[in-house]
Amino acid sequence: MEFRVWRFDPERDREPRMETHHVEVTRGMMLRDALLEIKARDESFTFRHSCGEGVCGSDAVNVNGRNRLACITPVAELKAPVVVRPLPGRPVIRDLVVDMSQFYGQYEAVEPWLKRREPEPEQEILQSPAERARLDGLWECILCGCCSTSCPSFWWNPEKFLGPQALLSAWRFLADSRDQAEEERLDALDGPYRLFRCHTIMNCVEACPKHLNPTRAIGHIRDRMLKKSV
Amino acid sequence: MTARRLAGFRAWVWQRATAVYIGLFLVYLLGRLAVAPFGSAEALRAWLGSTPLWVAFGLFALALLLHAWIGVRDVILDYVKPPALRLALLAAVALFLLANGLWLAGILMEVK
Repeated sequence: MEFRVWRFDPERDREPRMETHHVEVTRGMMLRDALLEIKARDESFTFRHSCGEGVCGSDAVNVNGRNRLACITPVAELKAPVVVRPLPGRPVIRDLVVDMSQFYGQYEAVEPWLKRREPEPEQEILQSPAERARLDGLWECILCGCCSTSCPSFWWNPEKFLGPQALLSAWRFLADSRDQAEEERLDALDGPYRLFRCHTIMNCVEACPKHLNPTRAIGHIRDRMLKKSV
Repeated sequence: MTARRLAGFRAWVWQRATAVYIGLFLVYLLGRLAVAPFGSAEALRAWLGSTPLWVAFGLFALALLLHAWIGVRDVILDYVKPPALRLALLAAVALFLLANGLWLAGILMEVK
């Protein structure tokens, strides 16, 4: 099967180029396996990967125009030639490795931890099964960046728009019965850019390898803002 | 209402509220035209001259201008980065909408 991989070393190359490789497809082969095969032939070929089972979120790449995790993308499902590029909109460090600092900065900006006004209890803060169930579809995010880097609003304003991943995380804490900083969180999300650059394009929903729905989370935040304002 | 107050959540609420009003008014207007089309300019003028319609059309014009301002401003915020160009475009849009608003206000004053 033909693979075309993006190659760029800023220390040596003037321009990026696509490099063609032919890899024999074996049964159950994932895209990560194919990339490792290419790396075995040319060890200068660089991409991030770790767990190999869709948990760590390291190996997000753009495959045939769609952001996916290489380790859980069966090669048999892909149309040849398989074109593998770095995640769009991020500065390339080398080959398929991109700088995710801004993405992590936006995640940090929503303060993704529980905030309490009351004193911390001696033991854990209990939740009812229903309260816990509200976090399903939110906590599973692995920060791979597939969603935010497929979002046109994030491409246009990555420094100001938080992006789908950070907004999903913002709702994860707003929806948490143990969190006591609702007003502070909602105030921090207001303004023309941070949340309201989302135009419900929904590329994020299509791209998420964990089948999460950041667009719905953003809708919930807007609804909560509306509820608080009336 | 300052530009700052019409940003983010407030702008989003206004855009949706005006969309609902514009939608309802257009449905009514199209229904009215389908059921009993205006035969002449005088008939249209008389229709618009009745106080409830005059108020409803005035609100429609305001809603349309506000909706357009928020929508076009969103597009400019998305795509136009250089501050001078952005300011110039926003000013041009504001002037265009203001001129339209004055024109519509003139029509409403004339029929009443």
